[in-house]
Amino acid sequence: MSGVRLDKIVKSYGAVQVVHGIDLEIKDKEFVVLVGPSGCGKSTTLRMIAGLEEISDGSLTIDDRVVNRVAPKDRDVAMVFQNYALYPHLNVADNIAFGLRIRKESKDAIKASVDEVGAILGLTPYLERRPSDLSGGQRQRVAMGRAIVRRPKVFLFDEPLSNLDAKLRTQMRAEIKRLHKRLEATSIYVTHDQVEAMTLADKIVVMQDGRIEQIGTPMELFLNPANAFVAGFLGAPPMNMINAVVAKGENGPIASFDGQTLPLPALPDLQNAEGRPIIVGIRPEYANIVTAPQPGSVNCTLNLVETLGSEALLHATVGDDQFVIRTETLGKIDQLDHVNGFTVDPTLIRIFDAKTGKALGGQTRVA
Amino acid sequence: MLSSMNLYSRGDKLFVIINMILLGLFTISTLYPFIYITSLSMSSGFEARAGNVILTPMGFTLEAYKRVLSEPMFWISYKNTLIYTVLGTLTSLAFIIPGAYALSRPQLYGRRFWNLAVAFTMWFHAGMIPFFLNMRDLNLLDSYFGIIIGFAVNGFNIILLRNFFEGIPQSFEEAARMDGANEFQVLWKVFVPLSKPAIATVALFCIVSRWNGFFWAMILLQDESKIPLQVYLRQIIVELSDDEEFANTLMSAGYSFETVSAAIIVCSIIPILLIYPFLQKYFNKGILLGGVKE
Repeated sequence: MSGVRLDKIVKSYGAVQVVHGIDLEIKDKEFVVLVGPSGCGKSTTLRMIAGLEEISDGSLTIDDRVVNRVAPKDRDVAMVFQNYALYPHLNVADNIAFGLRIRKESKDAIKASVDEVGAILGLTPYLERRPSDLSGGQRQRVAMGRAIVRRPKVFLFDEPLSNLDAKLRTQMRAEIKRLHKRLEATSIYVTHDQVEAMTLADKIVVMQDGRIEQIGTPMELFLNPANAFVAGFLGAPPMNMINAVVAKGENGPIASFDGQTLPLPALPDLQNAEGRPIIVGIRPEYANIVTAPQPGSVNCTLNLVETLGSEALLHATVGDDQFVIRTETLGKIDQLDHVNGFTVDPTLIRIFDAKTGKALGGQTRVA
Repeated sequence: MLSSMNLYSRGDKLFVIINMILLGLFTISTLYPFIYITSLSMSSGFEARAGNVILTPMGFTLEAYKRVLSEPMFWISYKNTLIYTVLGTLTSLAFIIPGAYALSRPQLYGRRFWNLAVAFTMWFHAGMIPFFLNMRDLNLLDSYFGIIIGFAVNGFNIILLRNFFEGIPQSFEEAARMDGANEFQVLWKVFVPLSKPAIATVALFCIVSRWNGFFWAMILLQDESKIPLQVYLRQIIVELSDDEEFANTLMSAGYSFETVSAAIIVCSIIPILLIYPFLQKYFNKGILLGGVKE
């Protein structure tokens, strides 16, 4: 078992605390993605797991052993760096073999391991080349090769794809996924890219300001965000947020905003809550466009239409709030420029408390 | 060059021409003494005394070299200089490289203080007498070891190399640590290979300063069998210029005091000239290219 457990982990630089006592359990063979905006503490957390940053407080357990005071080399973890960190004076084979040589493995064993890893990552033709003679994708593969050749208990990835172009990133994402399936090693992956998080993770940890906002599977987080931050962070484009107050409708609670109303799901928290400030969250793909006012539709002012081929993004405003609608173009292309409102299934609306940002209770949905 | 000059404005052209003239004059002023000394060393004693040597050897002869190379003291001092240079440079690097590495690490306790302490030695010295007394009290007078260890560490070289180490991305060190390297392995297997240009520069500074080392060797070494070439050179110049007997033989010999001095000078600078091309290959930039993506 190569699980990792973080118990109330704190990181401080002098008087400034940047990670505020986070708890996290990562099971053996699990692929966990730490995601969040820049400065949220995800890389610091990863570096604490790696042993590159001291842990100010709390305890870190790898494979049932507390490793707070254990040097990186003795934690049996490997890390893939954002900037590759390949040794430029060594060729690909020597880069991959570096860790094995440090550990004084036999020459035959090193050669066999390097050849095997080279074959897995498609690097065999490049083993004699220097890093400067490789493309970005090849360099990143060498960086991964250097990590996997040691067969560590835990793989750590620190934004490994952020320096690649969009096409290569998609390709490498798939390769990482394949590699994880093949090696079945516990992996912790840091990114600020929510698409990487959604596609790679068994479990996503959303962080903000040194705290964990929510932990769950990608679909759990997508469907049932715990708060407005998570809702706004996951999804591309992110969930639309409309500031409103609860009002009483004929058939239940409604949201009132900008002189308009929108039927709300019948949540217990919304009963007898007239006047309560809320945030109405609507995913761009759940809004259905209308070109003429309909019962229950919300009026919006269309500002921009971005046609992406099979789908289009409609940028609009509802009162003072920005609102993006994602819609298919098939059969609708002529209507797009005339959109002046949308409808939405009330069961697909997420409601958050306007003060705390927390999701109101009773909204759990399954995919 | 001339065709590309068409792209320049008139002012730029004037600037380039003045630049070329100034650089040409500078080149001549640095190259001429070397040419003159070499020509002088290969000229006959008579022509040298008469002041006829200006650019090329006059009355070509290698008598001065024969005289110099037949002198046992020349070879002894040459050997000493080689010892001081080779062992001195290796000793210097053995101290400077780890010292610079330690000072470049953010985790060094009291780093600011230690850096300041090293930089302090660049501007302030104890002075000649205290240093001499110190060397005497340590029994380091008249010894190879005294000359080698007494001048092994130089603040400027440490700061130079420290700055280079600081420029190496931290991720190399972290990657090596993750790969299992200890502090020494990080230095030896990552930082040293990545710093070859800087280490070559520091090595060249050490070599040149050791090879040309004169003043302290003269002060600290009384035993003739341990003096380096530069001290011997000074001795022979002083002694021969006063040596009446030597002067009397000049009329019959093919060499003179001037040509012998010039021959010794040429012999003493040849090794330095030969070393530079070997080190030059390390003075290239871009060795870090491709290792990290910034």
